[in-house]
Amino acid sequence: MSALALRMVDADLLKLRKRRGTLAWVLVLALAPLLILYVVKVLQHSSTPLQHGPAGGTPGFTDGVRLLCLFFGPLAAILIGVEAGTADVSAGVWRDLVVTGRSRTALFASRVPAALALCWAVMLIGYGLVLIGTYAFAGGLPTPDAALVLNGLAFTLMATGAVCVVAVGFSSLTTSKPASVTALIGWQLVASPLLANIGSLGSARDALLSQAVVHFSPVHVGDRGAAVSMSQGTALVVLLAWMAVFTALGAWRTRTMDA
Amino acid sequence: MRSQPAEAPSSTDDGAAIEASGVTKRFGERTAVDGVDLFVPRGSAFGFLGPNGAGKTTMIRMLLGLTPASAGTMRVLGHPVPAERETALRHVGAIVEDPRFHQHLTGRENLKVVAAVRGSDADARIAPALARVGLSERAEERVKSYSLGMRQRLGVARCLLADPQLLILDEPTNGLDPGGIQEFRVMIRDMVEQEGRTVFISSHLLDEVEKICDAAAIVDRGRVITQGPIAELAAGGAQHELIVGVDDPARALALLDGLAEVREARLSDEGLRVLLSDGPQAAAAVNACLVSAGLAVVRLEPVRHSLEQRFLEITSRLDAPPQEVRS
Repeated sequence: MSALALRMVDADLLKLRKRRGTLAWVLVLALAPLLILYVVKVLQHSSTPLQHGPAGGTPGFTDGVRLLCLFFGPLAAILIGVEAGTADVSAGVWRDLVVTGRSRTALFASRVPAALALCWAVMLIGYGLVLIGTYAFAGGLPTPDAALVLNGLAFTLMATGAVCVVAVGFSSLTTSKPASVTALIGWQLVASPLLANIGSLGSARDALLSQAVVHFSPVHVGDRGAAVSMSQGTALVVLLAWMAVFTALGAWRTRTMDA
Repeated sequence: MRSQPAEAPSSTDDGAAIEASGVTKRFGERTAVDGVDLFVPRGSAFGFLGPNGAGKTTMIRMLLGLTPASAGTMRVLGHPVPAERETALRHVGAIVEDPRFHQHLTGRENLKVVAAVRGSDADARIAPALARVGLSERAEERVKSYSLGMRQRLGVARCLLADPQLLILDEPTNGLDPGGIQEFRVMIRDMVEQEGRTVFISSHLLDEVEKICDAAAIVDRGRVITQGPIAELAAGGAQHELIVGVDDPARALALLDGLAEVREARLSDEGLRVLLSDGPQAAAAVNACLVSAGLAVVRLEPVRHSLEQRFLEITSRLDAPPQEVRS
């Protein structure tokens, strides 16, 4: 990446991290559920230890990863991706960037790594909370080994990163922040799980991003995923296709729209 | 920032900062800009004058590559646009419509964002640009707390990050108070006279253009009606006209009717209005003629034509199709 590209990414990151309202919601979505999860489990274990095991250990790790990677983490990633994709247009400064003469593709391209940088920074904090909960409250339970911890980290970054990239592309395509947030969260929370559970759709469900993501989970995801079985290769292709298609659509719209 | 603007990026230096030929923009059935020809000389302040809805902003948007032209060719700083847009705009600063910023960032951070896109040199220009527009002390405040006038000034500072050879400013004095307008005028003239930059100002404010600009184009309903130096535009066809005060106007009128230097003479409330065929020499001949005939000449005053008068003459023909008038 050239020095100019790095400076552009840094500038996009500045816009994102200074957006305090959005950042507060992102932190709440990514971290609060984890805190609540472990606090509730600790309270349950301390009040009725026979009925409720320790909050941490491998079961606590599994719960934490599921919560972060498959539910609240993607929502936080959507907020970051949409903010990155629409910030310039919604603030009305898009034309001021275009009149610098810099290529529109370069202006679009800098949004993706900036969004990923912020998304992953938040997810690392979230994953840190998961590990703290896992080891601090393990009690006598077995804890994840180093390989599982690393797999969990990679899965966290992949699952949220993919959604974040799709959100940047989709919101750059629509250029509307409210419409993008509504559509993406609606898809993530309602439409995608619904489609995954319609058996008559058969292998067409392989094309769902959520199903492809779940395929790489290092922990058992229970009834929230794995509604469709697919090969590792197919899952990878689906994942990359979602990112490529929405990135291409976002870049196309950014290149061609009136500023 | 009082340095000379950067050297032009390898361009064909034909003396024009902006050159447009037959530029047209259609939105469906409606033609917003209709075959505009424009020549903006380098090192001047050029006004693009027209009523609201005349097509000024659309023309600017095409020049900056914000929207494609339906027909015609354009060159900015010698480079064809949009073919060489990136090179052409490297040393162009522009404010299109009202200047917008990221409200949640400070003034300095907003400039930092644009400097990152402009390139490494631009970072070093942030502090001088803020100083130049008088915003150094407020640079760490969020833009949402800025007044409209401060945003206009921050917009100019953003333009200066390019070390522009050409500034394109769309209605730049909107929202400025009288003091701010005066400061703005001085700043623009300074940029042109001291720093050799070209400033292209779109405005519907005649007084503003007359005070700031060296030359102008008057545009109406998407067409350039006339363009040239301000004085010539204001004068129109009647470039040399005198008001003559004499003790016997009727006799004077009869005398002047036969004089070769006089194209037309008529009585008016102010005295005799005499349209000359030439400049100061003709005025001297008129004076000599009247004095030698024994008339007492008490007033011999050149008529000062205003751009406003000329503008209204041209653009008030709202019901008739616009006519081509070339000065």
